Amino acid sequence: MWNNIKLAWRNLWRNKRRTLITTASIVFSVLFASFMRAVQEGSYDSMIDNMVKFYSGYLQVQDTAYWDEKTLENTIAYDSTLAGKISNMKDVRLVTPRLESFALSAYEENSKPVFVMGIDPEKEDGIIKLSEKVKKGSFISSNDKGALIAEGLSKFLKIGAGDTLVMISQGYHGVSAAGKFAVRGIFKHPNPEFNNNMVYLSLKTAQDFYSAYGRYTSEVIMVNDHYEVDHVKRAIQEILPPDKTVMTWDEMYPELLSMIEGDRAGGIIMLWILYLVIGFGIFGTVMMMVNERKREFGVINAVGMRKSRINVMLFAEIVMLGMLGAVLGLVLTAPIIGYFYANPMPMPAEMAEAMEAYGVEPYMFVSIRPMIYINQALTIFILSSVIAGIMMITVARLDMVKALRG
Amino acid sequence: MNILETKNLYKIYDETSVPVHAVNGIDLVIKKGEFTAIVGPSGSGKTTLLNMIGGLDKPTKGEIIVNGVKIHDLSRRKMTDFRLKNIGFVFQAYNLIPVLTARENVEFIMHLQGRSKKERDERTENLLKAVGLGDRIEARPSKLSGGQQQRVAVSRAIASKPKFVLADEPTANLDSKSTENLLDMMEKLNKEEEITFIFSTHDQRVVKKARRVITVDDGKIVSDETRKTE
Repeated sequence: MWNNIKLAWRNLWRNKRRTLITTASIVFSVLFASFMRAVQEGSYDSMIDNMVKFYSGYLQVQDTAYWDEKTLENTIAYDSTLAGKISNMKDVRLVTPRLESFALSAYEENSKPVFVMGIDPEKEDGIIKLSEKVKKGSFISSNDKGALIAEGLSKFLKIGAGDTLVMISQGYHGVSAAGKFAVRGIFKHPNPEFNNNMVYLSLKTAQDFYSAYGRYTSEVIMVNDHYEVDHVKRAIQEILPPDKTVMTWDEMYPELLSMIEGDRAGGIIMLWILYLVIGFGIFGTVMMMVNERKREFGVINAVGMRKSRINVMLFAEIVMLGMLGAVLGLVLTAPIIGYFYANPMPMPAEMAEAMEAYGVEPYMFVSIRPMIYINQALTIFILSSVIAGIMMITVARLDMVKALRG
Repeated sequence: MNILETKNLYKIYDETSVPVHAVNGIDLVIKKGEFTAIVGPSGSGKTTLLNMIGGLDKPTKGEIIVNGVKIHDLSRRKMTDFRLKNIGFVFQAYNLIPVLTARENVEFIMHLQGRSKKERDERTENLLKAVGLGDRIEARPSKLSGGQQQRVAVSRAIASKPKFVLADEPTANLDSKSTENLLDMMEKLNKEEEITFIFSTHDQRVVKKARRVITVDDGKIVSDETRKTE
């Protein structure tokens, strides 16, 4: 085996210039593909991260009926044991309860339907950094009876910090809900829709308003990143009672996942085209290599080397050519990706503005997930193996007498 | 002792259209230690005959028996293994593996045979010394002259300890001096180690050295002459 590899390696360098050109084309394709995929996956990570931070969290524990019918009747009672178990799970960073519903808000002559979210302000601040988004007034605390309202809503209602917001709604079990809330602060929500209709109350205040004492619509769970969601979900499922369910961000917002998958597929098709072009390049080189050596194959078969062994040598040679390019490509990619991981590329000014308006950091992030890079090497390996396979068939079908004649 | 025997051997090409009888019923016996030249004009069938007795090509009809084994019945894979153990080849264009040194080219066959490193090293060194290339062991073919390459090719052919060596026009690309050296060397190996050589050749210098000359024409043996040498 070792001799086959040694022979294959030497054969590779028979025509140095040709091998170098082929290797360079593979290096470039691996570099380009790795960088492109790293940027693509980095932007998805950032997109998901922003979405879950601003709103849903990575996972939510809810009543089994809540997602289909978001009413206060489908809330869950607080279960400290369950919350404690989830908090102690590996990779779970934070568990925080929420009570969400709707109300009609009013101030002087103006009224508007609003989305009310009862939160644990300290814990939520750890996720969405809400206190940093307060433009006027102050942030709310756990025992606060006041409200934090979105900037767009405050403009519509012409209400400011220190004024009193009136809200009416239907509470738990159909009771009438009505309340007056001092506006503690005005915040700018990154999502334009939420910025026009969002009201934050402390959890206790929201429960009192809706007469939903000790109840929640969901427990929001944060993990370190979205790659940890699946195993945390499985772990939570194992301890959930039958009336509760756990949903992941992509189950709650499948449209985001579809958008990412659509975009990813587009990127992958681009890479396929790139690899197809590179594949034909390698194929051309290898075909020349085999054609030039048909007589040699005839000779070594004549002197007693089985075609299967010739093919092992040829396979090693072609795969070595591919993997040489792939490894060099990855070696060159590593410092580039490392640099952009540590120093994300700032987006052009106009785009940055638009992204900031949506609360998204205006940088192009790169992902350093190993699979991105392993996949490039794997693609080259598969490509080389397929080409080697075609060449092995050529050798297997070679008429040795004709080959010996040259 | 018969090393090689052919019985009623035929090779017919293009059987469906106009058949060409490249080998047309050849009966031949080669004994151990012979130094035989097969001669004949171009297209007479000598290379086809050599290919068949070397197990590179299958006969259309007839038998080829090498050391008691009917090789015309063997599968391609078994034939390759049989060639490895029993038949040495020397080609007109030397056909050494260009990326291997002289030593590695000779070792190559023994490696395929699965011989130990010690045995390979010893035999390779001895063979290359015997053909006068003791000082060129680590040279690659591109650094050797045609004559030197052909001597490496002969060493490679006999490294596997074959029953016989087939040499197809081995001197065609060599100058007179190299031809003389090569033939002397092969004659020496034939006499001292009793290696059987079968040549296919046009070269009168080879014919002169041969102790048996078989002339082939139109795929048939037209003469078979055995000479006495000193």
